[in-house]
Amino acid sequence: MTEFTHIPWLSILIFLPLAGALLCLVLWRREELCRWLALAVSWGVFVLTAGLFAAFRAGGSGWLLYEDHAWIERLGVRYILGLDGMSLLLVLLSGFLMLVAVLVSWRVRRHTGFFFALLLLMEAGILGVFLALDLVLFYLFWELMLIPMFFLIGVWGHERRIYAAIKFFLFTLAGSLLMLLAIIGLHLLHTAAGGAPSFALDNLRGLELSPSLEAWLYAAFLLAFLVKVPLVPVHTWLPDAHTEAPTAGSVILAGLLLKTGVYGLLRFGFPLFPNAAAASLPWLALLALIGIFHAAWIAYLQPDAKRLVAYSSVAHMGFVVLGLAAWNQTAVEGSILQMVNHGLTTGALFALVGMIDERAHTRRIDELGGLWGKVPRLSFFFLFFSLASLGLPGLNNFAGEILILIGAFQTNPVWGATAFAGVVFAAAYMLRLVQGVLWGAARGALFWPDLEPREGAVLVVLALLVLWLGLYPAPFLAPLREPVADLLNVLPQGGLP
Amino acid sequence: MTWNDLVALFPILILALGSAALLMLGAWWPRGRELMGLGSLVAGLSVLAAIALTPPVTEISGLFGAGPYARFFTALWALVAALTLLLSRRYGAERRFSGGEYTALVLFAAAGMALLSGATSLVGLFLGLEAFTLVLYILIAFHREDDAGAEAGLKYLVMGAVATGFLAFGIALIFTSTGTFHLPEALSGLDPASGMRPVALLGWAMLLLALGFKVSLVPFHLWTPDVYQGAPAPVAGLLATGSKGAVFAALLGLTAGLEVGWDDLVPLLWLLCVLSMLVGTFCALRQDNLKRMLAYSSIVHMGYALMALLAAGPTGRTALVFYLAAYTAMTLGAFGVLTSFSRASGEAQWLGDLRGLGYRHPLRGAALTIFLFSLAGVPPSAGFIGKFAIFIAALDAGFIALAVLGVLASLVSVYYYLRVVVVLFMSAADDVPLHGGSRGEGAAIALCALATLGLGILPAPLLDLIAQLIP
Repeated sequence: MTEFTHIPWLSILIFLPLAGALLCLVLWRREELCRWLALAVSWGVFVLTAGLFAAFRAGGSGWLLYEDHAWIERLGVRYILGLDGMSLLLVLLSGFLMLVAVLVSWRVRRHTGFFFALLLLMEAGILGVFLALDLVLFYLFWELMLIPMFFLIGVWGHERRIYAAIKFFLFTLAGSLLMLLAIIGLHLLHTAAGGAPSFALDNLRGLELSPSLEAWLYAAFLLAFLVKVPLVPVHTWLPDAHTEAPTAGSVILAGLLLKTGVYGLLRFGFPLFPNAAAASLPWLALLALIGIFHAAWIAYLQPDAKRLVAYSSVAHMGFVVLGLAAWNQTAVEGSILQMVNHGLTTGALFALVGMIDERAHTRRIDELGGLWGKVPRLSFFFLFFSLASLGLPGLNNFAGEILILIGAFQTNPVWGATAFAGVVFAAAYMLRLVQGVLWGAARGALFWPDLEPREGAVLVVLALLVLWLGLYPAPFLAPLREPVADLLNVLPQGGLP
Repeated sequence: MTWNDLVALFPILILALGSAALLMLGAWWPRGRELMGLGSLVAGLSVLAAIALTPPVTEISGLFGAGPYARFFTALWALVAALTLLLSRRYGAERRFSGGEYTALVLFAAAGMALLSGATSLVGLFLGLEAFTLVLYILIAFHREDDAGAEAGLKYLVMGAVATGFLAFGIALIFTSTGTFHLPEALSGLDPASGMRPVALLGWAMLLLALGFKVSLVPFHLWTPDVYQGAPAPVAGLLATGSKGAVFAALLGLTAGLEVGWDDLVPLLWLLCVLSMLVGTFCALRQDNLKRMLAYSSIVHMGYALMALLAAGPTGRTALVFYLAAYTAMTLGAFGVLTSFSRASGEAQWLGDLRGLGYRHPLRGAALTIFLFSLAGVPPSAGFIGKFAIFIAALDAGFIALAVLGVLASLVSVYYYLRVVVVLFMSAADDVPLHGGSRGEGAAIALCALATLGLGILPAPLLDLIAQLIP
């Protein structure tokens, strides 16, 4: 095992897609080559993440892998990466969904090399966010994710793409810039308390802060992360960004970028400011419940299928945040599992809406309909993932939601009961989507091709994973047990209502 | 002046004597491109001399420093001059600039900037400042057939002459209060125990007003957008980087020696800093002319530099010098891209001129994007590390409101930088043929881009160097 851990796997994981991105930029004129290069690199990263998962599937307390190097010593910034059970699961999800994103983008014809370079650059940024343990390094990766997504939406998006791209960039940057100030503030307080200048998470934890100062600093972190989650009322960038983004962009946005917000809260927000975090939990629960219902209602009214799925994301992330707010072993494990589930089902739904759009050149529910008769295989998968998304028992979302709901009941029965009603709302908008798109009379007499092998393969794998996670989620919960238990000890107990 | 002084002055002598020699050569051998190329070589030699030669004395005639701090800036400004000349070769040839004069003036400006950065006496400060300001009056209006250039030159001249008056008067008052020009002794007049304190304060106010004009802090900024827009693009690059950076380098030297009286200046500088960030940011939002946008953005950036100056202490000074280097790389690069896009018929100043160019000229489009993201302070870029270091210093010194304002300004600034990126990559290309760029221009832009990214990813060596040489 020692030989194995001496290899800097985490750096390889980040720099492999980065190198792939640079290579794609250099070879940007040779589009076919870039496409295969992107596939090869994302496949390589996925194999690496899967290997790491296989090696550490038993989990364990503390860091499974850890790297620490000097970077900008004068400012106290170090290059620290670490992997634990929580990041392991999200890294695996990233590796898998990026592969999906590359595969669903196979038909991108404009500036292909540039497109795949951006996808790989984003993969490097996302993996970096899930692995960085120095706050400045984390911030760097956090911003690095933004730039490729800005271009993906702005260049390959739909009609209002520039508005959506700029809105996305400004919203997320607004949160994160204040977080940067809070990071610096924390660093200076640590130095003033006699510590060596440092931005490392492990050094900054356990700092004695006055309550008002802690609340301010926590608020800055919270804002950055909640914008990304996104929680009502800072969610308004999401429907625009999702709707205008190309399919791969939506898959990554929903599947991965939203998860970085929750991950940031769990990794940095809560451990750094335990008292303020404990005090904020009921408010988080309130916002999460409002989000579940508000987003479900808005989703129900959407005429655009993609926008509907986008709002369903907001509702699902409400469940995830509710699990955090409940703050017990079951609920937090459920939240992290639900992030993976949501990444798979929503990613699949966005891919399917993209496939329909490619064929029908419309995403409006009132212009679609009767797809079951035209493209039965595509429709089957559409129904399957819609059912998964609304929480059908036996499929993955059910497993996550039930854990969250049980946990929420244990902490506060009212939260649990209210959230249960939210599940019914989810059923309402998902069934409306299915009804409008699949059933009814077929509109338009055009003949559409059904799934091609590439699309079918992606969907079959996704469907199998959905079944696996729904029927037997234990392997994915195993590495979470100890990190979550450690996390729960961070917050002062008994501070909950 | 002794032999040792001359040796210590050698890098600057290369610039000044090279300038004179090329001016004469130009009279008999009117080949613009070749002369500018030779000028780049001369400036490059000066960079090497400043880096390689250790001067035997640390101060020259009681006027200029020759220590590591002065040498660092000599090398930086000589490098800026070399790149400016490299960028000007095609641009100048197409506009039939007389190469000898142009090259001589740019080199002389670099010599002035180097002298100003290392000034250890108020006389040295005046000499250095006037040396390059006089040169810039001519350079801004160098294109004789361009009315906008003539207007810009005149504007800079009138405003500059007033500022020079204030500077001279301020220096005279400071001299009256202490009886010496030499720093830091000349600053002791601000001591409350000194009977000449009111005179010294008045002198300082005038000095700051004059320097504020040169670095275009709000409310002394009104000339900036017009002059940038009218000046030839490579000259605007020199104006935006060297002339401002050199003044800040001198200000750092001035305030570093200020032991008493600093507290009196803080509120004034604080106000200038806030105004520059606010006004610059909001004025830049609506600019459709790239040069005007960069002018307002430079005003905001000078606000950040002032924040670092206010933070004082070793962290603040290190942050300031690093930021000046980072700002120089990215701003010079941005003006370099503009220069390389310009045709004989005119410059590509307007946003509309750049539509879809990211795909038509991918290398320069990518370079401009890097510069703009760096100016906005998005990592991993020199601009981010610079701002990050400044915010650390400012928060450490207790300027929380300034830091928050700086962060908000940089958030808003993202919008106007992104507008350019949007035009570059997200709009359909017009059929306006822009120039394909020359090899020299490409090299200069590539160097700036490399510095911008390199200082963002591996800033440690430069930060360590700066920490050793700050006064």
